[in-house]
Amino acid sequence: MADDTKPGIRILDRFGAAVDDVIEDNPRAAAFWLLTAFQVETWKVRHLPEGQKLPSGQMGCRLAIEGITRALEHPDEAVLTSIFMPNEIFLAMGLRPMIAEAISDFMTGARAEEGFAVAAEQRGVPESYCSYHKILVGAAATGVLAAPRLIANCSVACDANNITFKWLAERLGSPHRYVDVPYDTSEDSVAYVADQLEELAGVTEQVYGRALDRARLSEFVARGQRTLQAMERTLPMRHRRYLVNDMGLEMQEALALHLLLGSEDAERMALQAERDIPEAKPYDGLELIWVHAAPYFSVPLQKVLDESPVAQIITSDMTFDQTRAGGFEHGPDEPFLAMAERLVHNSFNGPAARRIARIRQLCEKTQADGVVVFCHWGCKETMGASQLMKRDLEAAGFPTLVLDGDGCWRRNMSEGQTATRMGAFLEMLHDRREAAR
Amino acid sequence: MSDESGSVVWYACKYAPAELLAGYGASTRLANVEADTFEAADQLAHGNLCGYGKSLLASALSPDVHALVLTTCCDVMRRIYDVLVERDDIDFLYLLDLPHNTGKAERRLMRSQLARLAAAYGSYSGRTFDPGLALASFAPPVVPTKGHVTVVGAHAPGSLMEAMRESITLPVSNVTCTGARRVASPPSELARTVRAPGCGCDACIADDPAPADALESFLDWYAPALLGQTPCMRMNDVSGRSSLTDGRNQEGIVYHTMKFCDYYGFEYADAAKEARIPMLKIETDGTRQSAGQLRTRLKAFDETLHGMADDVSAAARSVRPKGGPTYVLGVDSGSTSTDAVVMDGSGKTLASVIVATGAKATAGAAKAIEDVLEEAHLTRDDVTLAVATGYGRDAIPDMDSTITEITCHAAGAHLLVPEARTVIDIGGQDSKVIHLTPDGGVANFVMNDKCAAGTGRFLEMMARTLEMPLAELSRQGLEWKHEVRISSMCTVFAESEVVSLIADDTPTPDIIHGLDVSVATKTSALAKRVKGEPPYLMTGGVANNEGVVRALAEVLGAPVRTHPDSQLCGAIGAAWLGLQSLGA
Repeated sequence: MADDTKPGIRILDRFGAAVDDVIEDNPRAAAFWLLTAFQVETWKVRHLPEGQKLPSGQMGCRLAIEGITRALEHPDEAVLTSIFMPNEIFLAMGLRPMIAEAISDFMTGARAEEGFAVAAEQRGVPESYCSYHKILVGAAATGVLAAPRLIANCSVACDANNITFKWLAERLGSPHRYVDVPYDTSEDSVAYVADQLEELAGVTEQVYGRALDRARLSEFVARGQRTLQAMERTLPMRHRRYLVNDMGLEMQEALALHLLLGSEDAERMALQAERDIPEAKPYDGLELIWVHAAPYFSVPLQKVLDESPVAQIITSDMTFDQTRAGGFEHGPDEPFLAMAERLVHNSFNGPAARRIARIRQLCEKTQADGVVVFCHWGCKETMGASQLMKRDLEAAGFPTLVLDGDGCWRRNMSEGQTATRMGAFLEMLHDRREAAR
Repeated sequence: MSDESGSVVWYACKYAPAELLAGYGASTRLANVEADTFEAADQLAHGNLCGYGKSLLASALSPDVHALVLTTCCDVMRRIYDVLVERDDIDFLYLLDLPHNTGKAERRLMRSQLARLAAAYGSYSGRTFDPGLALASFAPPVVPTKGHVTVVGAHAPGSLMEAMRESITLPVSNVTCTGARRVASPPSELARTVRAPGCGCDACIADDPAPADALESFLDWYAPALLGQTPCMRMNDVSGRSSLTDGRNQEGIVYHTMKFCDYYGFEYADAAKEARIPMLKIETDGTRQSAGQLRTRLKAFDETLHGMADDVSAAARSVRPKGGPTYVLGVDSGSTSTDAVVMDGSGKTLASVIVATGAKATAGAAKAIEDVLEEAHLTRDDVTLAVATGYGRDAIPDMDSTITEITCHAAGAHLLVPEARTVIDIGGQDSKVIHLTPDGGVANFVMNDKCAAGTGRFLEMMARTLEMPLAELSRQGLEWKHEVRISSMCTVFAESEVVSLIADDTPTPDIIHGLDVSVATKTSALAKRVKGEPPYLMTGGVANNEGVVRALAEVLGAPVRTHPDSQLCGAIGAAWLGLQSLGA
C-alpha cells in the first residue's frame, strides 16, 4: 500500500523526476533505469511478497509484474499487444506478450508517466487521448521503448486501438497485425475473427521463426477456459470475505488474466483463489464493484479502499470481461474459433447494454453494496456509457458513483474532489446498509 | 434536424448507406447540427465527448427526428446510439457495423450488414427496394477546383464552414470525415438492371428483375463501393488519405480537429511536418462560440495565402490623395488594451499610446485615436491611411482597412527586431506563436484554442487567487527557491492546485514560479507546432512578466528577447503594412 508521505514514495518521486529529465536527451539511460526499477520490483514480489495478502493475490501481483518485466528483458521474444487481445498463440510458441496498457501503468508505478505523456502531447497527440496510450506513444516517440519484433492488437475496446499501434508500427518499423472485431456476436463475426487470428499465427511463425504446435495451442485454450470458469466460481465466495487487496492488486490480477490466460501460472492463480477466498477472514466493510481502470496511486482512494476496514473492491469488470453469457460454444478442439468467440463476446465489445448486463451480474453474484464507474481520462467508451450504467444499476438496487479521473496520469486526478465524492458515497452506502439491518 | 414529411433518414458518417436508403424512397440528410446547449448530452452521457456527438444527441431527442442511421465509426457514435436506444424516442434507429478493413472478408461482412439494414428499413417504411431510385441518388463525381483551400480532418460544423466562406477568398472544399462522402458512380451494367416500365406483356414481366434480385445485384456492387471511399482515420489502412493533403490543386489546407475526437490529431501532426503548402490547424468544440477568434485565424490564413494583405492594398489605392506629408495610423484593439501609433512616411513612429479597452472596443479605440493624434499634433484629416487590427478591428469606425493581428504582429516584430524568426505573443485573451519568414512575413502561426490556459487571463486569475496585483506577481515570481509543479494546464484545476499549495504553506514565489513554468510549457508546445526557431521575440502584455520570459527561455532552450515597444507590436505592424501599401 502506497502513501505519498512515506519515504519510499518520496524516493520514487525523485526517481520519476530523474527519468523525466533524461527521456528526451538520453532515452537509453531512461530505459535502463526503468527496467532496473521493474527488475527490483520483480525480485521484491517474488522473494518478499506482502505477507498479509492472500496467496492468490501474491501470485496475481507476481505474474503481472514478472510477465511484463521479463518481456522487456527479452525483447527478441516479446510481442506488443493490447489488453483484450488473446495471447494463447504467443504463449504456446514460447513468446512473451507485452500488453501496452500495462507498460504505461508500470511507468506510472515508477512515477515517470509525466514526461512521456508531455512528450506525446508535444508531438501532437491530442490532450483528450487516453493516458495509457498517450504514455506509450511518448515512450516510443522519445526512443525509450525499443521496437518490438511484432505488434498485434485488436479493435476492442476503443478508438485508441485503431491509432496507437498503427502509429507505433510506422514509427518503430515493426510488423503489425490488426484484428478487427465486429460489433455483433453472430457466428459470422466469430468466424471472421478466427480467420484473422489464424492468419496472425502464420505471421508470428514467420517473424519469430518458430512453429506453432496446434495441439499445444489447444492445451492453452483449454486451460484458459478452465481458468475463467474457476474465476467465475469465486464470485459468490467473495461476499463478506476480507480479500486483503488494493487497487493496484485488482489491476494486477486483471492484467494476469489477460496477459497469461492459458498459462499454467494463470490457472494456478485462479485455483488458488478458489481455495483462498472461502478461508479468508470475515469482512464487515462495504464491498464495491469497480468499473474500468483503478487509479491505484490516488492517496484519498487508497485511504478508504486499500486493505481498509471501510471498504474493499470485491472485483472489477476488467477481471471478468472474458466470458459469454450461457457459456462458450467452441471448445479447445477449435482453438481459433474459441479465442475468437471469447473476443467477440467480451463484455467490452459491442453495445453498452452488454457490458452493463455483465456488471449487474457481477453485482448480483457478489452481493456488492455499490458500484464505482471510473471514467478514465480519454475513455469515451466508459464515459459515454457512465450515466446509462448508473441508471441501470441503480434501478437494480446497486447505488452507483460515477467518478472522473485518470487511471495512470496523476495530472488528471483532482484529489480533493475525489476524496469528497468517494467519502460521501461510502457514507451513503454505510447509512443504507445500517438502515437495512 | 426537423422532418415534417417523416421520410427523412438522418445520418452522421460518410459510410452511411444513403443511396441504399434512397432506393426505399427515403430522403437522406447529413445531420449537420450544432446544439445551443450540451445539457442533454452532459446529463445522459458525459461532458467529455466530442461536440458533434453531443450536438447529435441533443438534436436526435427532438420529436421531429423519426429515422436515424448511425455507424460504429467511433466510440462517441456508438455510445450516442446506446443512449438513444435507451430513450426509445426514434421510430427507426439503426447502428450499422462498419469494418475497419476493406478486404474481401470485410466487403462480405459489409454486404450482409447492408442487407440486414435494407430488410429493417423496408419493414419500417413498408416499401420495397427500387433500384432506379437508388441509382438516381448518386451524386455526380466532384472535380476538385483548381486553387482551392481544403478543410481536412474531423467533422466541420456549419459555423466553421460559414466562417471559411466568409474569410477565405478562394473556393473551399470540405473533405472532413462527414464532408468527404464520395461513393463511386455505379457501372453501366448495374444501371442496365433498371428498366423503363414494360408494357405488361409476359415477355416484359419475365425480363424485369424481381425487386429482391435487383437488391442483391445492387448490394454486390454497393458494399465494396461504399467501403472503397477515401478512408477516414478510423480505418486500418489510411494510405488513401495522402491525396487529401498532397498539395495538388490546393492553395492551402485548414486542418480541423475537434475536442475529444482523437483520430485527427495524429494525422495533423504528420501532415504538418510534410506539408508543402500552408496549413492552418483549427480545433473547435463543435459549438458556435469563439466565432471572433475563428474568423481572425481564418482571415490571417487567407492573408498568408495571398502573401500580402490585399484589403489594405485596395484601401490604399482608394484613399483620396491628400497632398502633403504621409501619416499612417495603426490601431490594435485588443481585449485588455487598445494601442495606437502614428507613423510618418519614413516609417518613423511619431506617437504611440496604450489605453484600456474597457467594456466597449469602440470607446477604447476612440480614446486611443484621440490621444495618439493629440500626441502627434495631428488631426484625423491629416491621416493618409488608417489601419485597424486586433479583436475589435471591425468595430472601429472610419478605418480605411483592417488586417488581422497575426499579420500585423509579424510585420511589427520584424520592424522592432529584424533578426527575430519567431514571435511569441501572449495577450490577455489568447496566446499565439508566429513563425516568420526572413522578410517578416508569416511562415506559419498557431493560436491557443478557446481556453485561458497559457494566456494573460490565466495569470490574472492566479494573481487574484494569490491576492496580489499582476506587477507584484511578476516581481515575486523571480524570488523562487524551490521547484513547484503546477501540473494542470486547465485554469480551473490549476486554481484549485494553487489553493492546495497555499493551504500547505508553500512560499508564494515558488507557487508563482510554478505558474510561470506552466504558461511557458503550454506556449512551448504551441511553438513546437509551428516549428518555431530562435531568435525568439516575446510580445504582448505578458512580455512584461520577467518570470514568464525566463521560464520560457528555459523551456525553449534559447534566449527570449523582449522589446520596450513590444506591447505596441500589433499597432506598429498595422501602420507599417499600411505604409507599405501606399508604396512609401
